[in-house]
Amino acid sequence: MNCEEAKLDLPEYLSHSLTEARELEFAAHIAGCEACRAETERLGTLWKGLALLPGMMAAPGDNVRERFYESLAAYKHGMASARPSWREKLAAFWPAVAFAMLAVGVGIGYMVRPGAAPQANGSEVAQLRGEVSSMRQMVALSLMQQQSAGERLRGVSWAYRAAPSDTEVLSALLETVNNDASVNVRMAAVDALHTFGSSPVTRTAIVQSIPKQTSPLVQIALIDLLVDLKAAEMATELRKLAADASLDAGVRERATWAIGRLVQ
Amino acid sequence: MNVNANDNELMAQVGAGQVQKLAVLFERHHRGLFRYFVSLNRNREASEDLVQDVFFRMLRYRASYDPKQSFTAWMYQIARNANVDQTQKRRGEVIGIDEFAERRADAAPGPEESAARGQDLTLLRQALDRLPPDKRELLVLSRFEGIKHEELARILNCEVGTVKVRVYRAMRALEQAYTALIGEKTA
Repeated sequence: MNCEEAKLDLPEYLSHSLTEARELEFAAHIAGCEACRAETERLGTLWKGLALLPGMMAAPGDNVRERFYESLAAYKHGMASARPSWREKLAAFWPAVAFAMLAVGVGIGYMVRPGAAPQANGSEVAQLRGEVSSMRQMVALSLMQQQSAGERLRGVSWAYRAAPSDTEVLSALLETVNNDASVNVRMAAVDALHTFGSSPVTRTAIVQSIPKQTSPLVQIALIDLLVDLKAAEMATELRKLAADASLDAGVRERATWAIGRLVQ
Repeated sequence: MNVNANDNELMAQVGAGQVQKLAVLFERHHRGLFRYFVSLNRNREASEDLVQDVFFRMLRYRASYDPKQSFTAWMYQIARNANVDQTQKRRGEVIGIDEFAERRADAAPGPEESAARGQDLTLLRQALDRLPPDKRELLVLSRFEGIKHEELARILNCEVGTVKVRVYRAMRALEQAYTALIGEKTA
């Protein structure tokens, strides 16, 4: 073994991954070569130190594990439902399929980010982005239809990723606001409606939802949303609510307050 | 322990449809992947996202996994691609969170560890930070994750001989950076 060969074997010598014969050759070389022996000692010290650095490093947060298991469960769920014939099952079990597509969608999402796929032409990238957008929509819609309130809350959080022009997600959010059994889910859906607030359809639907609500909390949240959206055109409707004796006194008071904020 | 044989079998089972087996691979490898990413990009949040991305990609490409192929090499090939994509996405952003910050207090020398040694390790990790990303990546993979040269060659898509040269040069670069830091401290 010469010095050049010894240098190339040095890292493997330090990590004890040379064959026994090669290690003996290396040892014999450095026994007779002062320069290589000195270098082995110097780099060996650093090599040992390197092994201690991972212990000084931050560990990943628990959310990494939680996110992984959630995604894996969703993917398994989607596989189980989609396996027989995904086209047929899509109609009946499309929420589960959407879960499966979530994983694929996120993968595609990474693939199609700006600059991430120089080999793809513009139309391919646009098509893939469209698919990702569609998958996000399906995930939001499917989660909002789940039995578990926690799942529906997650669906509402996915709605924030939808485009403001996405009428299907808007429709699902309004359905949730008007009919969900859980006040928490309804409140979360009210917040999510903010994304779609520039649409007159949304503003009208918000004001129409208020008298339908059984929870004053949700009613007040809807009124506050109209104020946030600066929906001054809804002042007339709010006046009707403020005068509606069937509503909770706190709600009527909030409606009066909102009118004052909107009509200044 | 030859975990790779088991890893290969597990990934083959994932590829055949037993996707729940991916959980075992996740438990075995997500910390190492996190260390790998955080060593490269020094951004905790981005690294956590990248770990997720790698496992998403494994699910997505599970059918293409060849059981005769090393799982570790395949996983780090996916990780490298994910990191390249992420780097392109984040180009221009100001990043550089200190990946050692959270454990720094814990890493203070204990009774058995001298203050001088602790200082040496701090200098060593600073020297590692100063290396170009390709050299840092080689040292992280070979030393932090214990990946052998043959697998490194598959990950980096080059010959084993090239890996030997590159790892040696990375070690020399680390030594030079470390020596320079000591010089800066004593100057």
